[in-house]
Order: sequence, then structure tokens, then C-alpha cells
Amino acid sequence: MALKKAAAQATTTDDERQRDRDLDGLVLALADADPLARRWAARDLVAYPTATTALIAQLMVESEPSVMEVILTTLTRIGDEQAVIGLVQCLRSEDAMLRNAAIEAMKLLPDEVAPMMGRLLADADPDVRIFAVNVLESLRHPQVENWLLRVITDDAHINVCATAVDLLGEVGSEVAVPALRALKQRFTEEPYIQFAADLALKRIAAG
Amino acid sequence: MGVTLKRILVIDDAATVRLYHRGILEAAGFAVSEAINGLEALERVAEAPFDLYVVDINMPKLDGYGFLRELRSKDIPQAPAIMVSTEAAANDQKLAYVSGANLYLIKPVRPERLLAHVLTLLGLSVAPRDPHQGRHQ
Amino acid sequence: MMEPTTISDDEFQKFREFFYRKTGILFEDSKRYFVDKRLLERMTLTACETFRSYFTMLRFQTSGEELQALINAMTVNETYFFREEYQFQCLVNSMLEEIVAQRTTNAPIRIWSVPSSSGEEPYSIAIYLLEYWPHLTRWDVEIISSDIDTQILNQARRGLYTPRAVQHLPASLLKKYFQRDGEYYQIGTELRDAVEFTRVNVSDAADMRLHRQFDVIFCRNLLIYFDDLSRKQTAESFYDALNPGGFVCLGHSESMSRISSLFRVRKFPEAIVYQKPWGSR
Repeated sequence: MALKKAAAQATTTDDERQRDRDLDGLVLALADADPLARRWAARDLVAYPTATTALIAQLMVESEPSVMEVILTTLTRIGDEQAVIGLVQCLRSEDAMLRNAAIEAMKLLPDEVAPMMGRLLADADPDVRIFAVNVLESLRHPQVENWLLRVITDDAHINVCATAVDLLGEVGSEVAVPALRALKQRFTEEPYIQFAADLALKRIAAG
Repeated sequence: MGVTLKRILVIDDAATVRLYHRGILEAAGFAVSEAINGLEALERVAEAPFDLYVVDINMPKLDGYGFLRELRSKDIPQAPAIMVSTEAAANDQKLAYVSGANLYLIKPVRPERLLAHVLTLLGLSVAPRDPHQGRHQ
Repeated sequence: MMEPTTISDDEFQKFREFFYRKTGILFEDSKRYFVDKRLLERMTLTACETFRSYFTMLRFQTSGEELQALINAMTVNETYFFREEYQFQCLVNSMLEEIVAQRTTNAPIRIWSVPSSSGEEPYSIAIYLLEYWPHLTRWDVEIISSDIDTQILNQARRGLYTPRAVQHLPASLLKKYFQRDGEYYQIGTELRDAVEFTRVNVSDAADMRLHRQFDVIFCRNLLIYFDDLSRKQTAESFYDALNPGGFVCLGHSESMSRISSLFRVRKFPEAIVYQKPWGSR
């Protein structure tokens, strides 16, 4: 027994890829009993943007985290409007893991998410608004600061504001100063808001 | 001094929240480490377990529930965990306790409240250091 | 134009948090001088007069080019024999022990080193196994090493190294496995026959599909240069390239906790590595 060179490049086992690799075959494989087959199907479906609906449908019922992760990566790589609509649906899921994974995926799709931002930030569910602010973190978009200012000026929910202030410490400019001061006035009794707003103000003044 | 400080791990994806919790706990004489999500927290725990955990729920890669479930399944010295959440929903609370939390607090947490609970969970009557002396929140 | 000269405390904090979030690298206060110096260099090179303008570019640049350039500047990446040796110790003392204990067949153990770069890492692994893994008498081991760059692969196959590349090798091992060739050191046939080199683009699913059934993957200081999506995609491909219970070793400043939740963190006495759970499929 010793070190030896691998004979062939790899010992490929095609068992997980038995079905046809066309759209119909892959969509079928997406429901295979074997998670490995489902992962390969989800990965190969990147070649078929029309598969978005099938991917989202599987995501909603998928129980195996490794398959979920690959489906989300494929949706991100497809990254069209349908994919983003599907991800937004996930924000309302009861499953915390799915919600957080969807936020991560959306962070990688700034241009596609941007058109929906206004609506998400006005959603009736404060959790969805918090998630939307989380997504803003990675958005390379000229509107980001304005969106954040609107949140800390208008949003009644303290934790939505708190999430926005956290980000303003990073992206805020002098423009944000009056809104941050007003926020402190609005929540005078809340030590966290005082702390976070002061930190943002300090960073803006320094930067 | 020869006294080992109690070590607390603050787990939250928001930098400002970590800084806020750290400030409160350090002022009271605890040694604080930070992690940005549940997976990173598990790495810190692998290096050395902590005396207490302050855990956010919604985080990328591994959320607070997932972190607690993993933590509680480990064969290491266990320690109390406070879950902090933006949500008051009964379902979230239940899930937190089922996952292994010892306490569920709604954000934003007031400094004196966080500290009082930390002391109780650690079985201390007073903070290792008076947080109102010197730097305060 | 005015050259930027200083980074304030608050700017450092703000940068540190951002960089930590993006890369998982947390600069301690003791690294302040180093960080400031690199930042100021990048600011000068990009004609940013203030930290604020530089930071804005860093955050909002769609291509992410400047973030890459900055990561390059912040992470010194030099390859040499026995670099991050503690991971090779971990391989022979801990990882392989666990793997052979669970083995039900006598199929070869497969180790993948990617990127191969000029070969220092795969040959280091070969030396380590030959020297320090007693069970090599009972198991076959295949070492495969891959890179996207065919020129560097040829260089790796050739195996000609400068004194600098081999300076961390004990003299006895240098003598045993290399021949002196003028100024250079040439690997001997024992090492040459121990490593198979292949060309792979880790972001390409078709390439990755040909590389399977590994027990350990070394992928050090590569993912840090990728964008978030490519990094995640590569980690997912590694998951399917590994046997259940297989390990991934990343560079010392990299952490899987920023990349993917597929793996479990495993702490061994020598190192922290990532594992595809036993019993997973």
C-alpha cells in the first residue's frame, strides 16, 4: 500500500444523474427521493431560466437543507424577476432557515430586488420590513440612503428603525443627520435607539 | 487579580447590536466575544465553550434556533442562553425554548434588564464590576 | 491632488466591521498600522482623497473590483512547502484516523488539493503522508491536485523550486525528496509519481462533476478571492465531491461560516476544519 496516482481522472458515478438532462427530466429529478439527485437536478437547472417556478415550488416543500441551499444558489444565478418574486414569497415563510436563506439570496441580486424595495419597505408585516432593510445592506443602489431615511422618519416600529440605523452608520452621509436627530427625539426613552443613532452620528461626523 | 472573568458570547448579525450588548456586559465586568451568525458562533464554541450566550434569532447561514439546537447536542459544558428577538409572537417564543433557550427577551433590550437577567442566569447577586462607575451606557 | 494621510479611529472601526462582514477577517487593534497602511495605498492608487470617498466606492462599486484588490493587499498569499503545516499534522493525526476507522472497503483514500498552484501543497501532503502517517502501509492514497491555469500545472508537474520555496522543510527531508539542480531544487520521482494533476475551474459544474469521492479537500486561500455567489457555489460542489464524513480545509483567515451551512465545524487538537456529516447523502 502506498501513494499512487489516480488511474482515471475520476471515478464518476452517474447514478444520481440517470434521468435525461433536459428541462422535463430535471424537473422530475427535482422530486427524486435521493437528495443527491435533487441537488444535481437543482444545479443543472441553471441552464433553464423557465424552471424558476418548479424550483420555487420544490423550495417550499424541501426538507433537506443541502438541497434547499443548492436551489437557492440556482435561483440566485438565474436571478430574473420570477426568481426574485419567489424569494420574496419565502420571506413570509414560517421557517426561519428558509427566510434567512432567501434574504441572503436577495442580497446577491441588488438590481432585480431594487424595483420591489419600495413595496417591501411599506409591507404591513414589520418582519418583512426588517428583512427588506437587511437586504438593503448589500444593495449598491443610489437610493439606499433615501430608503433608510424614510424608514427612520416614517416607520412606527422600533425594530425596523433600529435595523435601519445600524446600516446608516455605514452608508449615511450628512444628509442623514437631521433624520437621525429626529429619531432620537421620537424614541427618547429607548436606550438602544439613542446608542445606535449616536454611533451613526459620530461616524458620519468623522467620515 | 487572578480572578477569571465570566465569558459571554454575543451572537448577532447587526454590528451595532453586538457593540451595544458588548458595552453593557463589559461595563459590568464580563469578557465578551462576538459572532456574526450561528455557524461562526459554533466555531467560537469549538475553540472554548462560554459561560453564557446572548443569541439573536434571524441571522444568515445558521439562525439562533439552529445554533441552540447544535449547541445543546454537544458534549461540552453547557451554559445558559438568552434569546433576543424582534418578535413577541408566541410561536417564536415556544420554538426558542424548545431549541434550548433559557430566556426570551424582546429587542431592544434595556441595559439594566439585560444585566439583571445575565446575573440571575449566572447565579450572581452583583455584577463583577459596578457598571455605573466610569464608562456607562 | 492631495494624498490621503491618515485613517481616524472611527473610520478604522467602520472599515473593520465592513471587511469582517464581507470576508470574515477581523483585524485586531494590533493590526491597525498594517490596515491603515494598506488602505492608504489603495486610496492613493484609486485617486480617492478621503476615506469616505474610498469607502463609498468600495461599497457601491458594482464590479466589486476594488474590494478584490483590497483583499489581495490585505492577505499576503505566498506559497511554499509546509505552509500552514498544522493542517498537515491534523491530516495525519486526526482526519485520516477518523476516516479509516469508518471505512468499510479498502478503496483508496482520495485527497484533493486545489488550487495546485506550482505544486508546493500537493507535494507537501505527499511528503507528510510518507513521513508521518504510519497507516500508509495499509492504505492506498491518491492525491489529485487541480488548477485553472494550465501553465502553472505544467510548472507543478516539472517540480523545480527556489531555495525560498523549500526553506521550511527540514534538511533531512529536502535531501531525501529533492535533487539539487544548480540554484534550484528538483523533486524526485517518488513525489512526482504520487500526485496527479488536472485542470479544473471550480466554478464550472461540468469540471467539478469529474472530481468526486474525495475524503479530504484542501482549498486554502482561494475562496477568499471569489465573490459571494461563486464562493457558495464552489462550497456546494465540494459537498458533492466529498464522501460522507469527508473534510474541507480552508486557509487560516478563511471560515466556512461565511460561505455555506452545509458543513459542520470540527475542532481537532491541531486545527479547525469542516466536515460533511457522516450519514449524509
